[in-house]
Amino acid sequence: MKYTEIAVVGGGPAGLSAAITAAKYGAKVTVIERNNSLGGQLRKQTHKFFGSQKQYASVRGIEIADILESQLREYNDNVEILNGATVLGLYEDGVLTIEMKDRYIKLKPDRIIVATGAYEKFLSFPNNDLPGIYGAGAVQTLMNQYGVKPGRNVLMVGAGNIGLIVSYQLMQAGVNVKAVIDAAPKIGGYLVHASKIRRLGVPILTSYTIKEAHGKDWVEGATICKLDENWQMISGTEIDIDVDIICISVGLTPLADLLWQIGCEMKYIPELGGHVPIRDENLETSKKGIYIAGDVAGIEEASSAMVEGRLAGLCAANSLGYIIEDFEEEKQDLIEQLDSLRAGPTGEKILNGLEKVTKVIAGRYGYVD
Amino acid sequence: MLIKTGVPDIEDIMEITPPKRRREKGPVAVIECFQRIPCNPCYTACRFGAIKEFEDINDRPKIDYDKCTGCGLCLTVCPGLAIFIVDESYSEKEALVKIPYEFLPLPEEGSFVIGLNREGKPVCRAQVKKVQKMKNKTNIVTLVVPKERSMDVRSFSMKDYDDENTIICRCEGITLGEVRKLIQEGYRTVDEIKRISRAGMGPCQGRTCRQLIMQEIAKFTGQKMEDMLMPTFRPPTKPIKLGIIAGGESDE
Amino acid sequence: MRIDNHPILDFKRGKEIRFIYDGKEMVGYEGDTIASALHAAGVRVLGYHHKTGRARGFYCAIGNCSSCLMTVNGKPNVRVCVEELKEGMVVETQRGKGELK
Repeated sequence: MKYTEIAVVGGGPAGLSAAITAAKYGAKVTVIERNNSLGGQLRKQTHKFFGSQKQYASVRGIEIADILESQLREYNDNVEILNGATVLGLYEDGVLTIEMKDRYIKLKPDRIIVATGAYEKFLSFPNNDLPGIYGAGAVQTLMNQYGVKPGRNVLMVGAGNIGLIVSYQLMQAGVNVKAVIDAAPKIGGYLVHASKIRRLGVPILTSYTIKEAHGKDWVEGATICKLDENWQMISGTEIDIDVDIICISVGLTPLADLLWQIGCEMKYIPELGGHVPIRDENLETSKKGIYIAGDVAGIEEASSAMVEGRLAGLCAANSLGYIIEDFEEEKQDLIEQLDSLRAGPTGEKILNGLEKVTKVIAGRYGYVD
Repeated sequence: MLIKTGVPDIEDIMEITPPKRRREKGPVAVIECFQRIPCNPCYTACRFGAIKEFEDINDRPKIDYDKCTGCGLCLTVCPGLAIFIVDESYSEKEALVKIPYEFLPLPEEGSFVIGLNREGKPVCRAQVKKVQKMKNKTNIVTLVVPKERSMDVRSFSMKDYDDENTIICRCEGITLGEVRKLIQEGYRTVDEIKRISRAGMGPCQGRTCRQLIMQEIAKFTGQKMEDMLMPTFRPPTKPIKLGIIAGGESDE
Repeated sequence: MRIDNHPILDFKRGKEIRFIYDGKEMVGYEGDTIASALHAAGVRVLGYHHKTGRARGFYCAIGNCSSCLMTVNGKPNVRVCVEELKEGMVVETQRGKGELK
């Protein structure tokens, strides 16, 4: 059995930020990452980030991954990185079991920061299992990590930020995007992303859904259909589109298996993408010593994931007794950064979701029924 | 409607259009950021204090056109690629538009491209004035566009590369590229193009190419097809043996 | 289907890696997964479902959905979207659930 002070599960934007912060204040940190590289989904984000300088605004995601990785390496004495390592289980006694390159490892940490991110939601329609129907993340991975084009002509299902960004990236890779459709009557992603692909001639069709995919062994086409105000298909509005790839980008949901295993209190909050852990302002869950950061805590942008990571790392290190002189100030600054990132209309949904979390916590102390 | 299609309405555009006087004075930033999102690099990048400080990071940028020099720093940092530089002082009839561009291949300086509007529709022909390769890989392409298109052209297509392979006049073998170049050089009627290039003087007498050439001129000048000058029509209407005419009218 | 010129990314392809796919010799590059190398070669159908017999390709490409199971070096049920491509690998389309040997 191995020991460590803080185990960080996941080496994406949230996990790396948590590890950097905790290690900076002296804590011994073990980062467990299933990929052979660090950075998680940042490694595929070729676009410049939003936010402010504190969250690396205007820097491309791929470069932020390098920045975070090199920051982490500065604290080499305090940091152990397990790459190619997947956490299999989290048990009552606080032990993590890990598979690392066909080896089985047990790790007993004093604190755990779960930063496992999210997975892609799926959609039900006839033939949705045909090869050539890929998650938007998969297409990003294939193109931006391995340099492989997914196909020739793409239908993008979903006009949230990921759908819009991946459409743009497909065009950068030389792939034709035939249309972006979304069942909602409005574009969900940032409008600047929408305008970017629009002015290249890609139609964005809101109130449209995919009716079915065609093909025998792989995708040979798709039929899309207009929806009425009640989200019902309007017959006669079907359009056949000649595509060999259908890309599904209908949102993410927290990858919270470990939190369920250990029995953290979870609540279904659709605004945050599904079941999320109840946590306090230090990002500590209902299980003492288990913290969370990033998409596993609720689906948001990578900018806020990084700030949450820093907050979880700070609080976990503080709880271990590491002396952090400006602790309250630091914490306040991070909380303010999160508040400001969520202050606009695009953050409204997140705030509504977080309010539901707060109500649960408040209820526990008898402030609310 | 922007929120439904990604294309801003005319009201949206009016709101962010710098005054005509300012546009004609020299380069100025046009910030097409219509939604409150948490993002402020344009403000932090501006060295002239032209973009006012954000009270809330979600604020939309407010620009002081008198302070803006049109330097383009904000254009390269904007994560939304939503900033353009427009300069209507360029020449009497033409304006410059700087466009952030993250695609390959980059166009060649001096080459002609098709200016696209916010819907990706072709609106004019544009010449590439300058291509600036930036360290952050958001490169800047400066286009020369007809002045009335300066608030319209926001992207471009290099389909012109295929123009040399696109035949407009099949009788004389004149390509789309040649026709476009002539229009750009100032030949603006079918007759002028016919005389300089022979397009339309072959056996078909312009029946294949006339309409196509007129469309190209209309696209470039913004003229309506109904207002365009038709070429001069002369006999014969079909290829005939010279001898038929040379022999004179036959006696019945 | 490889991307050669990219406006943002610089793909440094590693050395060529030879492998066998259903008896055919194929080439990928160092840094590829089995799935990325196959996809680059135009192979999208990775297997057939053990019950329905329907064609299967990957969906998530990051090891979540387990839709990309193939037999690799005789070992069934390998998630090829996250399995690093190695020289001389023998990759086979899987039918059925795979056998214990």
